[in-house]
Amino acid sequence: MNEKAPKIMMEVKNINLRFGGVVAIQGVSFDIHEGEIRAIIGPNGAGKSSMLNVINGFYHPQEGEIWFDGQKRPSMEPYEVAKTGIARTFQNIALFKGMTTIENVMTGRQLQMNKNIFWQMLRYGPAIEEEVQHRKRCEEIIDFLEINHIRKTPVGSLPYGLQKRVELARALAMEPNLLLLDEPMAGMNVEEKQDMSRFIVEVNEEFGTTIALIEHDMAVVMDLADRVVVLDYGKLLADGTPKEVQSNQAVIDAYLGVPH
Amino acid sequence: MFYKETGQFKSKYKEELAAFPLFEDKIGIGILGVLTFLVIPLFGLPGLNYEFAMGAIMIPCMIFIIMTLGLNILLGFAGQISLGTGAFSGVGAYAFYKFITIFPDINIIIALVLSGLVSAVVGVIFGLPSLRIKGFYLMVATLAAQFFLTWAFIRVSWLYNYNASGAIEGPNKEMFGIIMIGPQSSGMTRYYFVLVTLIVLTWLASNVIRGRIGRSWMMIRDMDIAAELIGIRPLVAKLSAFAFSSFYVGIAGALMVFFWLGAAEAESFDINHSFLYLFMVIIGGLGSITGSYMGAIFVWVVPVLIKEIGKSAFGFDAFVMENFSTILLGAMIIIILILEPHGLARLWQITKQKLRLWPFPY
Repeated sequence: MNEKAPKIMMEVKNINLRFGGVVAIQGVSFDIHEGEIRAIIGPNGAGKSSMLNVINGFYHPQEGEIWFDGQKRPSMEPYEVAKTGIARTFQNIALFKGMTTIENVMTGRQLQMNKNIFWQMLRYGPAIEEEVQHRKRCEEIIDFLEINHIRKTPVGSLPYGLQKRVELARALAMEPNLLLLDEPMAGMNVEEKQDMSRFIVEVNEEFGTTIALIEHDMAVVMDLADRVVVLDYGKLLADGTPKEVQSNQAVIDAYLGVPH
Repeated sequence: MFYKETGQFKSKYKEELAAFPLFEDKIGIGILGVLTFLVIPLFGLPGLNYEFAMGAIMIPCMIFIIMTLGLNILLGFAGQISLGTGAFSGVGAYAFYKFITIFPDINIIIALVLSGLVSAVVGVIFGLPSLRIKGFYLMVATLAAQFFLTWAFIRVSWLYNYNASGAIEGPNKEMFGIIMIGPQSSGMTRYYFVLVTLIVLTWLASNVIRGRIGRSWMMIRDMDIAAELIGIRPLVAKLSAFAFSSFYVGIAGALMVFFWLGAAEAESFDINHSFLYLFMVIIGGLGSITGSYMGAIFVWVVPVLIKEIGKSAFGFDAFVMENFSTILLGAMIIIILILEPHGLARLWQITKQKLRLWPFPY
């Protein structure tokens, strides 16, 4: 993106995360520039999802700092992190199965809605105005992701690819500054992957949303990402543009294995 | 259904977000309104004694619907299981009793709302364990509430004003010049009061459920991790569900004692009643307002009708019919749950879906 004066949106410094004796992340530092697509890759069990969980506030690292928007972030709970404008999708879909697509997308607006219980009970005046206003925004997102036809379908009965898309819609409804995508293309066929890639690029370019994504499909990563972080066994292996990472010997070794 | 949404276009989101967006639904509700407001109070139910129809079917049914709505908000919408419903309804009833005896001039509606609020506070206190535990473990924690509260209803004699019987009894009490509760109140006034309460509470519940707060409950129910990530505080969502649910249950408890039974002891709020309400919710359908109606009506009316028919049509004595209706109800519940584990509401939904296509198979 803006190569000359990149503004650092988020920086993780020297993160150490342990579960008892198991070391999940060991001294990892990297940054995310504003407006870029940052990919986090690595073999299974490398600590990628743990890294997102740290950023999200699900895990609290034993050591290390997280800087967001130029400020050091105190230890936060997930709902507090959500308020700072970080949204996320999950590796295995975490939609609200009992609700329809539109309801799921509307849940993304929860934080922006604030009318109290008495207005809610009457569902009149400010409460319904608020509902309509946010509904409009959600419909725009639904239009954008081309899921109009399943608006009123309970998400539990949708095919996998569409569920992933609804999850993206829900995250977008939060209008995040930073969007974390955990394997957005896992288990998709080529066509669905193309659609999803197109949406990710469009979100990045049209809304200016900064995106950090974990992905295993290297072709996708190399095409989409501005910069790539490679993790292996909880350690930082490489950090740079896709080209640099691709030609990095340590990365090739980690992925292909080396003769001992 | 034999009608559909075809041709009924909405040009505003507000219209689409209405409770009954379809024209035919509005007609249906209108017919129900005429039936409950005019036809039933005037003529009773067909084939049944008028007093019996009002006192043993209509009024308890409506009260149990409020109870079921309350439990359904907690269990069906927020996913927090509770076995303390009976006790929470008792809190409402005893609170109402204290309010009308301490302040004899208090308006009944105000007393009712206040006792609902007392019940809500108690519900929140006993809902606190839900922040740490889920499912069966939470059930056990609410069971503690059930036993503790029924113990308190017997032991704390302040609650029933130290009277010898240990029961709470509704004194005659007026509102706007009409005797509403107590031995001298007419069945008709009580019927209308309960009916209006039911309609208001249903309307409020459906509004809350479709809005921001209702969504936060369903988010916690379906996927608490994702809900937290979107910015829902589990503390607020869970405890508000406990509060709202207990508010309904408390009001239903007060109505049950003072608008139906006339007097009650701690046994009216025991664990068996908690099971009965749980039954109504599960048979009716979790997470559905229509389901709450169907479940309460089914579980309450079917045994009563079986007893009545057995007595009048076959001449069995009451004792035989009592047992027979229990057996029959049990069998019917098993059959319904095998046919449709999601309860009567889902069965109704499927029927509507099928009727849309009828008479074509697909």
